Amino acid sequence: MAGEVTLVELVKRFGDVTAVDGINLEMPSGEFFSMLGPSGCGKTTTLRMIAGFEQPTEGRILLDGNDMAYTPPHKRNVNTVFQSYALFPHLNVADNVAFGLRRQKVGKHETRERVAETLELVQLTGFEKRKPAQMSGGQQQRVALARALVLKPAVLLLDEPLGALDAKLRKALQLELKALQQQVGITFIYVTHDQEEALTMSDRIAVMADGRVEQVAPPREVYEEPSTVFVADFLGVSNLMDAEAVGGANICRLQVGDFELDATQGKTDARGSVRVTIRPERVQLEAQDATGQNRVPGMVERLVYLGNSVQVIVHLAVGTTIQALVQNVGTEIPWKQGTPVQAHLPADALRVLDDTGAALAPLDEGAVPA
Amino acid sequence: MSGTTVATAPVQRASTVTRLRGWLANPWGRPRFLVLITWSYMVWSIVPVLIAIQFSFNASRSRTIWSGFSLRWFTWDTDSVMNDPDLRHALGQSMKLAAADVLIAVPIGVLLALGLARWRGRGAGTSNFIMLFPLVTPEIVMGVSLLLVFTHIFTVVHTGTLAQVLGHITFSISYVVVIVRGRLFSIGRQYEEAAADLGASPAVALFRVLLPLLTPAIVAGAAITFAISIDDFVISQWLSSGGGTVTVPMLIYDATRAAPLPSINAIASIMAFVTLLSVLAGFLVYRAFTRGERGAGGGMVGDMAAFDI
Amino acid sequence: MYPRWLWPSFALPGVLWLIVLFVIPFYAVIGVAFGTVDPILLSAVPIWNPLEWNVGWMNEVLTRLQPGGDFWVVFVRTCEYVFVSLGLSLAIGYPVAYYIARHASRTKSLLLILLILPFWISYLMRMFAWVNLLAPDGYVNRFLQYMHIIDQPYGFLDGKSSTVIFALAYGYIPYFILPLYASLDRIDKSQIEAARDLGASPFRAFLHVTLPLSKTGILGGAVLIALPMFGDYYTPNLVSGAPTTSMLGNQIDLYFHSTSQPTIGAALTILMSVFLLVLMGYYLITVARATKDLESV
Repeated sequence: MAGEVTLVELVKRFGDVTAVDGINLEMPSGEFFSMLGPSGCGKTTTLRMIAGFEQPTEGRILLDGNDMAYTPPHKRNVNTVFQSYALFPHLNVADNVAFGLRRQKVGKHETRERVAETLELVQLTGFEKRKPAQMSGGQQQRVALARALVLKPAVLLLDEPLGALDAKLRKALQLELKALQQQVGITFIYVTHDQEEALTMSDRIAVMADGRVEQVAPPREVYEEPSTVFVADFLGVSNLMDAEAVGGANICRLQVGDFELDATQGKTDARGSVRVTIRPERVQLEAQDATGQNRVPGMVERLVYLGNSVQVIVHLAVGTTIQALVQNVGTEIPWKQGTPVQAHLPADALRVLDDTGAALAPLDEGAVPA
Repeated sequence: MSGTTVATAPVQRASTVTRLRGWLANPWGRPRFLVLITWSYMVWSIVPVLIAIQFSFNASRSRTIWSGFSLRWFTWDTDSVMNDPDLRHALGQSMKLAAADVLIAVPIGVLLALGLARWRGRGAGTSNFIMLFPLVTPEIVMGVSLLLVFTHIFTVVHTGTLAQVLGHITFSISYVVVIVRGRLFSIGRQYEEAAADLGASPAVALFRVLLPLLTPAIVAGAAITFAISIDDFVISQWLSSGGGTVTVPMLIYDATRAAPLPSINAIASIMAFVTLLSVLAGFLVYRAFTRGERGAGGGMVGDMAAFDI
Repeated sequence: MYPRWLWPSFALPGVLWLIVLFVIPFYAVIGVAFGTVDPILLSAVPIWNPLEWNVGWMNEVLTRLQPGGDFWVVFVRTCEYVFVSLGLSLAIGYPVAYYIARHASRTKSLLLILLILPFWISYLMRMFAWVNLLAPDGYVNRFLQYMHIIDQPYGFLDGKSSTVIFALAYGYIPYFILPLYASLDRIDKSQIEAARDLGASPFRAFLHVTLPLSKTGILGGAVLIALPMFGDYYTPNLVSGAPTTSMLGNQIDLYFHSTSQPTIGAALTILMSVFLLVLMGYYLITVARATKDLESV
């Protein structure tokens, strides 16, 4: 099947700065593949290299097996939806969408048909004569989509296309884009810094930092089984804690402060200094007199009401502060601010990470996890 | 807690002085002092010229004492613009120089703007510096240097119309570059990249996408080049060889020191009119082309006021 | 996306043109200044080889430029004129630019058009207009006599320094106001509001926020008009015929056109250019320092 992109040892340097530092990625045909990371991580540069606007310093870019790293952009069978849409202001919607077809010397009749077809696909029938300046951000985005899709590329590249839209519109369009991709069936390569967006839409996510890929996996795996500290922290609240790993094969015995905890996830055979992470929704809060393995006493610092859930910020006896997420099931939460509580950190929810998380911004001592 | 009324003290009228001060220094209203200065400046700046234009319609031979309305200095007087050969020639020469200037300086300038904006490499910085220099060089220095170069190095040119044309082009190029470059920066690379992405070859991206978007700035550059050329005095004077190479500004200059007739007012008024017309035309074309875009930063006025140096 | 040779080759025609007709002519001036004069034809004979340069003329000019020499008098006078005109331009131009940039809302477009208008009217026409007004029988004299401020027409155009300064200010103010307006317009309104919010009166907010932020605009505008003003010769010639108001530019004009001593004219031109380059350099350094300060905010 067409539309499989493979990046082999891709490197891009701008003078002294290495934007992309040796990336290997396989993006199979028909997949909604996202590159996720903070600004400066190299995701946009990578996308631009796939599109052809930058030439790699080293490495190969394979499209269905052919290296197109040195093919000029107008000869590649990939199309881009730009962050700023880049709709030609002097052309109306129909001419914008038809632009690529005219480059391919497609006949007038067929052009008109395909333009109409694609406009219907993005629900913009009737907008043919409008100029971009007369349309809203959401509408412009769809014209940009139509303009690229009408050419039936093997791969569609999207560079943070929803960035300029307000939250509600963004959410709606996320679902629309996902549906669109499944309907059209081509490979989507999507760049974003918004982890929620990536989790919502992607078949697989490549989490990037400092020009490298930290982890490539489906959303569920990236969230629940992060392989590095950076991924754990980028994809949501990580509740990172320092610990000493004292051994085990399938179970890792950890020394966290004065407490001993068992962890069954992650690098369970690690030794020495490690980091431990647990997702807030897996932290179980119990009454202060509860007993059992993997329980640490603490004090409720404060509560943050989110509507569908409540964040409970707990300062643990081991010295760190973690966040627990309690679903709102209609009953009042028994833990008030300033009351003692027992935090149960189930062993199968604790994940051991042995990297230092160098890509991470330094953790602020005493800062409440966001 | 509820139910009690709060007793209010009677409101006292502020003293007259305070109220006057308030009127003058009203922080929410327009500061009247500044308004006064601004409009006085506008009057001071423009009214003298209006008076001079008015006198081009004077019925008598005086430039200072008004005797009624007449078109004599434009049409039927023997020394009128139409009848006096010196005046007609000066008008013609000014137009010739300006037309030649626009036709040559604008294309060179547009290319130079594009080249300087996108060139990354050795020589780009130096070239940019060379381009900026004419803008800050006093005209007399340019006049002297051009005169000497045409009489001692490129002597095939010597003084005359050709020298004047070459001189005009030399200082016009930089203006075109600065104007076009401003527009280039606001356009950015995105449209050409989008075009290439959709299959346009570099040539198509340049000519079918970038150039149409650049047109308003090119038109503005042309209008400004025309206006500057028409009004140029120093370069034209230094490179003239007398007689047929006299331009209207030179005419006005020589006449001012003699005892000129209102026909000078008339020809000056014609030139002012032509210049304003060309600028207006440029402005309107600019507006027509950018009608489809968001009007950012005051459009042409903004583009011109924000000289990208 | 574009071949690497494309942009340099676009720039080539323009750069070549400027090198041939802008850079090289400077060397022509140098060649003439350090050259000799043909005794019979009284025309300049430039010397191109630096090793053979004749420094006689340059020395003469330099001597006359020293305090006590005739060129020194002219130089000082030129500096005076430029300085005072600059001051006048600032005094008049700043309030106008300030008002248009920060206060005029409904009339802003109209005011901007009026501001730009003088650009499109020939400088000479604008001077010519004032020559008419300041003539013995012009409106100004007639008005002053009508108001009984004077009895006889005042000779505004009889070689008065004040007239030249006034004319220079009138001529160059538009070129000063526009960049000043642009810089004032760019000042973020919220910074001024922040100052007001923190307790500054309108005047203090202006003094401590607006004024410093507009410093680069003032400096830029000042340099923009000071440089051409230094080389101005037509303004004194138009509004005053006298040698007592002669500026540096007049001298250069004199030595090329009236008396044919091109070597002196060329030498003067070089010295004036060097002087202006130093001024320019000072400006650029100040701007560089100022931008660095702004960037560190």
